[in-house]
Amino acid sequence: MQIRFWGVRGSFPVPGSTTNRVGGNTSCVQVCPDDGTVLVIDAGTGIRKLGQQLMTGPCGQGAGLVHLLISHTHWDHIQGIPFFAPLYQAGNQVKIYARQQDVQLETIFCSQTKDPYFPVSLSDVAASISFSALIEGESFTVGDTRVRCARLNHPFISIGYRIDADGASLAYVSDTAPFDRILFGRQFIAGRPDLDSPPREDAAKLQAMRQGVVELCRGCDLVVYDTMFRMHEYLARPHWGHSSPEHALELVHEAGARCLALFHHAPDRSDDEVEQDVQTARGRARCKVFAAEEGAVFDVGDGARRVD
Amino acid sequence: MEITFWGVRGSIPSPGAEFNRYGGNTPCVSIRTRQGALVILDAGTGITVLGRSLMTTGFGHGAGRATLLLTHAHWDHIQGFPFFAPVFIPGNRFTIYGPSESPSMVEGLLEGQMDPHFSPIHTLRNLGATIQVLATQDGVTFRVDDLQVTGRINPHGSYSALAYRLEQDGQQVVYAPDAGYNGEPSPQTQELYHGASVLIHDCTYTGPDQRARRSRGQSSIEEAAHVAAMCQVKSLVMFHYDQDYTDQQVDGLRDRCREYLDREPGGKAIELVAAAEGLTLHTD
Repeated sequence: MQIRFWGVRGSFPVPGSTTNRVGGNTSCVQVCPDDGTVLVIDAGTGIRKLGQQLMTGPCGQGAGLVHLLISHTHWDHIQGIPFFAPLYQAGNQVKIYARQQDVQLETIFCSQTKDPYFPVSLSDVAASISFSALIEGESFTVGDTRVRCARLNHPFISIGYRIDADGASLAYVSDTAPFDRILFGRQFIAGRPDLDSPPREDAAKLQAMRQGVVELCRGCDLVVYDTMFRMHEYLARPHWGHSSPEHALELVHEAGARCLALFHHAPDRSDDEVEQDVQTARGRARCKVFAAEEGAVFDVGDGARRVD
Repeated sequence: MEITFWGVRGSIPSPGAEFNRYGGNTPCVSIRTRQGALVILDAGTGITVLGRSLMTTGFGHGAGRATLLLTHAHWDHIQGFPFFAPVFIPGNRFTIYGPSESPSMVEGLLEGQMDPHFSPIHTLRNLGATIQVLATQDGVTFRVDDLQVTGRINPHGSYSALAYRLEQDGQQVVYAPDAGYNGEPSPQTQELYHGASVLIHDCTYTGPDQRARRSRGQSSIEEAAHVAAMCQVKSLVMFHYDQDYTDQQVDGLRDRCREYLDREPGGKAIELVAAAEGLTLHTD
């Protein structure tokens, strides 16, 4: 199994000379099991170039099948969908998986392309699209690959995924806050809460959620984790729903995972700053640590090794 | 008027070293008037860079005021708005104009962007700044501080987009980022462009690329050169490049656009500029 990073940025795309190496596109990761299944996690702007590459294969002949797993529908995780070329080729099938919502997934995804926001409606594209609503904890197979999901701690609720194939395993945990201060749900949180610890009932739910994420990452060869914040940024904005490398390491250590990829980099984080964050994290890590960079490809299995 | 370009790319941002020189952010242009008022044209991702720069001024402590003119609501023209730092600072005041019959429809478009399924902000009312949303329409003239502003509708694929003319002291800046004419611009649009000191015009495509993608409602460099000469503008600024054109390709577009201009009657007298992120122009 391999993983390839097409977009590694959080919030919004950031073109410019300070992001050339790490990349400026928003979240999109391709997981490549040995059987050739096309499995994509999240559809930020990075999915546009993935789409162009897929069009050189079966998708270009209208014989493509793409499984697209969505962590949540905040813009930076879906804004690339209207620019995903395989959607515009008749015969292709795109299966979209996301957490169940208060309305049908199709309604949510199609509202992105409704008039006057985008000229082509998702409901009119040539490819055939299907939607699968997931319940956290659910597990299913795609070809020889097993996919499992768990609830994360993020505004309006996101889910993380674990992929098992070819005797290897990886987890994608983005976006999420740590599981100790605020229980995120559907409410709007205007500012930093006064209390450093949540009400008892929330604390119990957070503990259960954390345990679910530890189990999702248990023994993984690679964990890709939302580390948008440095610790002082997290302490200033715990209500934004993101973590720091320290939070990621604590969880990855407990889960006994082999490698951590820092992911969902803050939009204003320069290439040099990302490198500093990697060095700092390595100083306290008991596993391998690297930063997800656009275009990077890793073999996953017995840990993870960069091969591009 | 001082014109600064913060995003010059069409459709979707283009990160990558091959786009660094012209820039990969989607449309945003700022105009500083003679009296120092700030007018912002469109809110593509370029507005996030403008926002960072404004935070070092009065906008950083809630003493800022600006007007945002939206040409239309396609994502590449509004996607930067939720990340425009000054809108989170109480005390800042923004007036937003969008093309519609009613202010509540413009507000509805912005609310759609803030919907909790898509944005942690949930609603415009959670932004700290004071925001007034207004509508404008084809042919309407209004004042923004010391500027006179007129909008005209251009066809844009299955949709339409406003072009704005901003005038002050005999200087005119026209902003027409998305225009897919059916032949020639309408007489009203020609009048809007006529004699402009600076015409910032849709130059998304080469001729062949435009003809292959006509339904998208964007201009080619030939069309832009033709329109600039026909309307006797003084300066043409190329804008809204296709997301896949590298810096080297845009250099080529500029050279060819110069050739097209030179072939047009009166075209040799027109100055040509290829918009790039960070570029500032003055009308006088």
